[in-house]
Amino acid sequence: MSELSRDALLGIVRDVWERHDPVPEHLVPAMQAAAAMAASDLDVELMELVERATELVGARGSSSYTLRFVHGDTDLLLRVAVDGDRSRVDGWVVPPEPMTVRALPGENPTDWSSVVTETGRFELTDLPLGLLRLRLEPHDTTRPAFATPTFEI
Amino acid sequence: MSTRTNEVWAQATDGFNRWVAGDPAGLDDLVAAMTPVLWHVVRSYRLSEAAAEDVVQTTWLALVRRRAAIVDATAIGGWLTTTARREAWRVAQGDHRTLPVADEDLEPRIPAQRSAEDAAVQHDEGDRIWAAVDGLPERCRRLLRIVAFENRPDYRELASDLGMPVGSIGPTRGRCLAKLRVALMQTGEYR
Repeated sequence: MSELSRDALLGIVRDVWERHDPVPEHLVPAMQAAAAMAASDLDVELMELVERATELVGARGSSSYTLRFVHGDTDLLLRVAVDGDRSRVDGWVVPPEPMTVRALPGENPTDWSSVVTETGRFELTDLPLGLLRLRLEPHDTTRPAFATPTFEI
Repeated sequence: MSTRTNEVWAQATDGFNRWVAGDPAGLDDLVAAMTPVLWHVVRSYRLSEAAAEDVVQTTWLALVRRRAAIVDATAIGGWLTTTARREAWRVAQGDHRTLPVADEDLEPRIPAQRSAEDAAVQHDEGDRIWAAVDGLPERCRRLLRIVAFENRPDYRELASDLGMPVGSIGPTRGRCLAKLRVALMQTGEYR
């Protein structure tokens, strides 16, 4: 009885849960990547969400909405379309400027990117659902990168 | 609390301090030290594995965004577990990703799937101890799991999460520990 002190009991509880519901192997590296990415974004200037509109489409399981972000003189218009468990983003940067747009899904360090065309358009396809943010990296390196706040698809 | 838990908390504080001082490896170490604790705390809220992973990630992103607001580095572990529990509770209340009946609730009634190899040793000491912990009432299982992995859980929030008056957490924990002690004695592994 004496060996089953409160601490000993709690130690037993910890041991059995560690064995029976272990931390998924990928979790620590995935969280390190997510935290590091978020930390590196701290220096990136954030765009401001100025407009959000939802347009529901008839087809089952699909919907779309538009988002508008502003940063300085740059306007970013996004049309996000969800189809099943994937989504696509059609974007329009005004005024057009050569830049790379990178999608940073919340859970996955893999990124999706696209270069803005002369008319300011870009598209990102086959994106996972969940939390997403876009980072805009002007090719003019004297211009700092900026990013949208995280939004959920 | 046990030496090991204190070590985890000390590692967390150390990692946080190094990160704030400009060393990115400090953040890595903090995440490595505390992610397992967050996992066990969050999973006690009947969340699916996927939902639990989301909650753990939300917690880390909240830390990165709000790190300037954390004045006391020695309290970083508590800040993280409190944030994770709050988010887990919120998600468990109404998120569609929450399984209506979590796998862990079924375990006591449905024999776990075992491989032939496992079956051969299923009556070993470890399994009997697991059965003792697993056979506790749901509220005890959750409360003891949280208390075991956290350093000093905030009883007020814990009480509201578990739907109990704040004053009853201490006595309930005592009763749950007593139940576990009896169950463990009955396994014959402890005398």
